[in-house]
Amino acid sequence: MHLNSSVFSKFLLRSLGVAVFYLCISVCMNAQSTLIKGFIDAGITYEKDKVAFNFGEQDLFITSKLSDRFSFLGETVFKFDSHSETNFSVSIERVVLKYNINGNHNLLIGKHHTPLNYWNDTYHHGRLFFPTIDRPLLFSAGIVPLHTTGISLQGHDLGKLKWGYDLMIGNGLGSADVSDNDNHKSYTAAIHCKPVDRLRIGASYYYDVISAGAEIHQEVVPQQVNQQLYTGSVSYFGKKIEVLAEATTGVNQTDSTGNAQTLAMYVYGGYKLSEKWIPYFRFDKINYDEEELFYNNNDATAYLLGLRYQVNYLVVLKLEYQHEEHEVGDDNDRVKFQAAIGF
Amino acid sequence: MKNYEVIKMKLSIYIRIIFSSLLFMSGMVVHAQTIPLTVISHPADAPADLKQSELKSILLGEKQRWKNGKKIEVALLKTSTAAGKEVCTKVYDMSADEVKKYWLAMVFQGKAEAPSFFNTVGELQAFVSENPGAIGIVDQIPNSPGIQVVMVDGKKTF
Repeated sequence: MHLNSSVFSKFLLRSLGVAVFYLCISVCMNAQSTLIKGFIDAGITYEKDKVAFNFGEQDLFITSKLSDRFSFLGETVFKFDSHSETNFSVSIERVVLKYNINGNHNLLIGKHHTPLNYWNDTYHHGRLFFPTIDRPLLFSAGIVPLHTTGISLQGHDLGKLKWGYDLMIGNGLGSADVSDNDNHKSYTAAIHCKPVDRLRIGASYYYDVISAGAEIHQEVVPQQVNQQLYTGSVSYFGKKIEVLAEATTGVNQTDSTGNAQTLAMYVYGGYKLSEKWIPYFRFDKINYDEEELFYNNNDATAYLLGLRYQVNYLVVLKLEYQHEEHEVGDDNDRVKFQAAIGF
Repeated sequence: MKNYEVIKMKLSIYIRIIFSSLLFMSGMVVHAQTIPLTVISHPADAPADLKQSELKSILLGEKQRWKNGKKIEVALLKTSTAAGKEVCTKVYDMSADEVKKYWLAMVFQGKAEAPSFFNTVGELQAFVSENPGAIGIVDQIPNSPGIQVVMVDGKKTF
């Protein structure tokens, strides 16, 4: 692999630029409370008779309290990217300016993780917090839009049942972080409650119009898609038992196919043998409509068994056996080990 | 007779020693089991009394402003201290590591600001007295004009 020196220099300059940007923010805000944290993981994979060492995204995370009511949150990731000339890229994952309107009601503007489901809204890019090594299949399959740049109203811990809500308008799929590719906006409405300690029940609705010609995950959408996503989730992380189950129904409507309905779901369960040792499993299932054109139409089933060891709150080790099947293509078995840290 | 009286005297001394030792040890056991905690606050904004459930809600970052709109600033002793560990058990019902992970996750999700953690009661009290909206938990009842003791379920300690 030959690295063009000028391209590498550009990457280095870009990375330095991001680092200097964060340094300037922290210096300028040194009268405020500014926190910089990071997360990264490294691992070993055994797959198809081959052992490979790997490392994940380096996630730099910064928060700053700007005034009594304004605060800032930024999350930048340095990651392997085979489409990049240097095989690495810098990605701004979250830039959120938050204004506390009153009590537990906030206004947020910027780039968010779309508040569609528990996993996306809770774990972001911090593998340290993931209960499993990787995200559920419905994320890598592109079922849900991970990020939205827009504006939202957010509330939390309201009333006896600790209700929360997110109402968001954004640029939608196909847009860049700094511009909208069309006149359509995406709409997200999510609600959840925490009726008892450690239990959270949520539901959300998402609507977007993806224009013909929009580029999604390096592929061009051939015709307009009207997309609706319905998601339900239940999470319980108790003293002994952990359960997380989410399901999304994606309804993609096009002129040629009408409504194509896809169901994607996963169920995670863990049991705390002790505070440190947690065996767990996860089952993933995606069923695509035969007429589905927007998603990569290839039914998938996966299950994994794993063991998590919490060294402390900053270091977690995970070992998993994963099995994955697709309607088209070979089954895949792999054993993975991951050390995820925060710093 | 003399022998009997000597034996009686020695027995009496032994019984007193054993009884005193038992009393002393039971005091140690009680002390090791639980530390009384006191909630303190800046006098300007926090109420004079709270329910245990409200206190927990504040310490979990669920309630972030007082009724007058002032931001709540939570101050805690570090979880490596005995009193800090007691707060983890009594208020959070979590281990020290779980409390630290909880707050790291809350900050990472953008949902709340982490509490300020202190090594000593003196440092914590100084923070509370200097910061309107501040509330903290210590293992002694303070006697300072700049600090209000907050009753929890009607009690000064819990």
